Amino acid sequence: MSRDDTTAQHPVVELDNVEIVYDRHFLAVQGVSMEAQKGDIVALMGPNGAGKSTILKMISGIGLTERGEVTRGSVRYQGEDTTNADTNTMVDKGVTHILEGRRTFEDLTVEENLRCGLYRGGRRLSYSEEDYELAFEYFPQLEDILDLKAGYTSGGEQQMLVIARALIHRPELLLLDEPSLGLAPKLVQDIFETLTEINREEDITMIIADQNAKRTLEIADYGYVLENGQVELQDPAETLKDREEIKEFYLGTSREEGRYTDIKHYKIRKRWT
Amino acid sequence: MVDASTFLSISIAGIGLGALYALVAMGFSLIYKVTGVLNFAQGQLALLGAYGVVIFATPAVLGLNLPAVVAVLLTIVVGLLLGIILERVVFRHFIGEPVLSVIIVTLALGGIISGFLRFLVGPNFMSYPDALKPGWSIDLPLGASIGASFTLGVVLSLVVVVSLMLFFRYTVTGSILRAAAADEQAAMVLGVSIERTIIIAWALSIAITSIGGILLAMASGGAGFTIEAVGIIIFAAVVFGGLDSIPGAFLGALVVGLLQEYGSFYATGVIGPGAGEIIPMVFLLVVILIKPRGLFGTERIERI
Ligand SMILES: Nc1ncnc2c1ncn2[C@@H]1O[C@H](COP(=O)(O)OP(=O)(O)O)[C@@H](O)[C@H]1O
Ligand SMILES: [Mg+2]
Repeated sequence: MSRDDTTAQHPVVELDNVEIVYDRHFLAVQGVSMEAQKGDIVALMGPNGAGKSTILKMISGIGLTERGEVTRGSVRYQGEDTTNADTNTMVDKGVTHILEGRRTFEDLTVEENLRCGLYRGGRRLSYSEEDYELAFEYFPQLEDILDLKAGYTSGGEQQMLVIARALIHRPELLLLDEPSLGLAPKLVQDIFETLTEINREEDITMIIADQNAKRTLEIADYGYVLENGQVELQDPAETLKDREEIKEFYLGTSREEGRYTDIKHYKIRKRWT
Repeated sequence: MVDASTFLSISIAGIGLGALYALVAMGFSLIYKVTGVLNFAQGQLALLGAYGVVIFATPAVLGLNLPAVVAVLLTIVVGLLLGIILERVVFRHFIGEPVLSVIIVTLALGGIISGFLRFLVGPNFMSYPDALKPGWSIDLPLGASIGASFTLGVVLSLVVVVSLMLFFRYTVTGSILRAAAADEQAAMVLGVSIERTIIIAWALSIAITSIGGILLAMASGGAGFTIEAVGIIIFAAVVFGGLDSIPGAFLGALVVGLLQEYGSFYATGVIGPGAGEIIPMVFLLVVILIKPRGLFGTERIERI
């Protein structure tokens, strides 16, 4: 209770006028200010290359391993300055990042992948299947494929697995990078519905970076549209959905088929280049 | 020609020797499996173990005269500490650098260790204290028997292979080490520190390799620089077993031990002296040619 009182004053994450540079001279993100309030789902939208992943990577600290650096402005987590903090520090504070591209550990079984979610700073010595209950509650399908190598499961199952693995990690803030990428529309709908349930019932704040603006805005409380490393638009999701720019460029109901093929192209490019 | 009881004796000697190699080979695989580094200093690390006991237990070197058991335990502890120190002062600075640089660092490390030992102890064979020259042996059927250091080697290498398999298969830390080897970033966002995985791998590996070195020395009554050669011999074993497979390294080492003993007994007459050393290396070449991933090496799952 007292804890809620102290954190209530601060957003869970707060970026103030942030500039992010890769390799010391490649400017990827510029003057971005944004925040995620406790319990919210925040949508980060925008075309490929806009800087969505870069922002998530500098919040979780994993960007440091790609020679990324916040060179201006500040990142705060629960009111505390965490600018350029490393991943270990952020994991300890309760941040879990689901990286783009469903990074399951392919040679490990589904059960072993989930087990990796139990590792937090090496404190965990023993475990039992009960530890996975939280995962099975939201993704009961996983219980039937526990002994299958993750590399042999379907794209949808892999996406469920990485979310389940992150859930077992018991985060306060969950960062999701392109959870819908390359999945059939029906699966995307299921997964986004489950994310909403998790957000509500487990009280996990989420930032979702996704090119599928329509779906993401449907479940988000607040949204940011990025372009060329800058925030172009921001508003509560309800308002954002009605803005003309969004309708035209991102939601264009008549062009939904078109967007889906765009995404498929992107996926193919990613694999072969 | 081949009489059964001789064959059995030689086979047992081969397995005994192979079990000693297995400890050094598993030390190698452990580092490769967790960090992706081929450690070219295995031979020198085994040597360090072998001479560690001499340093602690015989007054000739540092004026120490510790009981044999204490010297052995201290040597193993030094191995663990060396793993931690190496991470702190060397390996952590190579995170994110090409693996090749670290492999070259291991070559330098090998040179440093063996130079340091020559400086400290001198180039000569150093006899082990009597407590580490056990005379007992176990009698086996057909008049064969297995000596003390080989017996200890078989028991300890079995303990190590089983423990490591259980560790990687059933513990949270073991699973996350395998995960980190496959995808560093995805493991890091789950809380793994790459520094810590390097420490675990090197500390455990050097401790296990030291035990192998001590037993190799015990098998010949003391420490000598010939032990260094084990670093090359185990390559045949780990390539056969599949580099990143611990049980593979274990089995590979037994095969190499057997080949070496059969070679020196049956082929010396044909090929000449040195057949025992040549045959495992020929075997290494053949394995690389026909089965480059070895018996149990990880095959990447290729997705369509
Ligand atoms: N690891 C990296 N090193 C260098 N540049 C990068 C790296 N990752 C992304 N970038 C660049 O940063 C910009 C933003 O990329 P990113 O954040 O991945 O965009 P998005 O996730 O919105 O598609 C792009 O120009 C991209 O090429
Ligand atoms: Mg991205």
